[in-house]
Amino acid sequence: MRVAIDSSRCTGHGLCYVHAPTVFTDDDHGYGRVVGDGVVPDGDLDAVRHALANCPEGAISELQ
Amino acid sequence: MARPVVPTIATHELPIPEHRDDAWRTLGEAPLSAVEDGYAATGRDVVETVLKNPSIFSSKKAFDVLGSPVPLVPLAFDPPEQTRYRRILQPFFSPRAIKPLEDDLRAQVIDLIEPIIAKGACDFMADLAGVFPVQVFLTLFGLPLDMRDQFVEWKNAVLGLTAAGGATADDAAAQEGMQKAAELFMYLSGLIQKRRGQPGEDVLSQVLNLGPPDAITDEEAIGLCFLFVLAGLDTVMDALGLGMQRLAMDFAKRRELANNLSLVPAATEELLRLDPPAPFLPRVSTGEATLAGVTLPAGTRVTGYLAVANRDPDEFANPYDVDFHRPENRHISFGMGVHRCLGSHLARLEMHLVYEEWHRRVPNYYVTPGTMPKVHWPRGTIGLESLHLTLGEEPAR
Repeated sequence: MRVAIDSSRCTGHGLCYVHAPTVFTDDDHGYGRVVGDGVVPDGDLDAVRHALANCPEGAISELQ
Repeated sequence: MARPVVPTIATHELPIPEHRDDAWRTLGEAPLSAVEDGYAATGRDVVETVLKNPSIFSSKKAFDVLGSPVPLVPLAFDPPEQTRYRRILQPFFSPRAIKPLEDDLRAQVIDLIEPIIAKGACDFMADLAGVFPVQVFLTLFGLPLDMRDQFVEWKNAVLGLTAAGGATADDAAAQEGMQKAAELFMYLSGLIQKRRGQPGEDVLSQVLNLGPPDAITDEEAIGLCFLFVLAGLDTVMDALGLGMQRLAMDFAKRRELANNLSLVPAATEELLRLDPPAPFLPRVSTGEATLAGVTLPAGTRVTGYLAVANRDPDEFANPYDVDFHRPENRHISFGMGVHRCLGSHLARLEMHLVYEEWHRRVPNYYVTPGTMPKVHWPRGTIGLESLHLTLGEEPAR
């Protein structure tokens, strides 16, 4: 699984980096950012799916 | 296509004071309803459309009527002006910017809870929810905590003015409110003069010391301070009061939380979902627009009803249940789109600290018999006048 954040949709709710802090982080403004290339380690799959489902802006997408 | 049925609802008559869930249920029967001053957008999709299209649904036009003496930066602006203020302010309220405050604020919460335990009872609003956010504001602004009661007085006067809209408040009260607002204005002007050009770690000093292109004028700075007072104090107070009311009246949920403090973040979100303290987000359309199949002319006032959108059954299973284990909780109590609450991370921190430190020390409490917490209504925000709690096991009735 690999994820990306659409920065035009993200408004900085900050839930992704709370739910899955190894895959998402915050920038200086509190917006979410993907750590590295966005490839999700197997152990973080549930946390990332949770983050994806809970983003109020629908800004996180799963890449092929 | 058949014309959609748009119910007409007299919001002033809704049973919000004692039965707010019933009021939200009535409003949730259609995604769009006609109300006194325009339309209520209540379906989550409809609210999303309104909040995510600021060029069609304008905040600037909607806040014109508030009659604030200073520009409410950036709340009452649309992009691109709004974007500038937002970019300047956001770094001060990001999770990593507020994290260093946590230990100090936690100690302050504990200092407020200890005397309540000693008394065995409290008015949660007056003794904790109403004062802690003011202390947070003073801490952020580098002001002494002993100014707290003065700020509470100023804040209540200013909020009283905007809540009454100038129309219903009696003359003496309105005059006193104006007087207090003027005092606050003078105090903030003086503070800004004093802080400008001086180094300082507090948010105000840092904002005032920004260089071009982000430098802000004195007038903008006062607007900003007013905004923090208007948007940052009673919102947290009301969210805490309404959340604690639900817990005080629900033994099972209260016990679940007190027995497992790791649930505090999820419980905070769930209580926020049910009781957004600022549940009405006003916008005014800039041109003809279609919402839920209804064509609205330019200049139509459309208000996003967040508490109803947060109970949309298409988004939330069993939306009226309190559930600390929702796999998805995409509530929009902090709004969404460009105006999403700037202080949401700070508000969450404040709520986490109160719920955690309270339940660590006070696992049992109940609404004091003979008292009835009531939501003030009609008003632009939702909150309790008082919440009298007795600490300990509730005696069998």
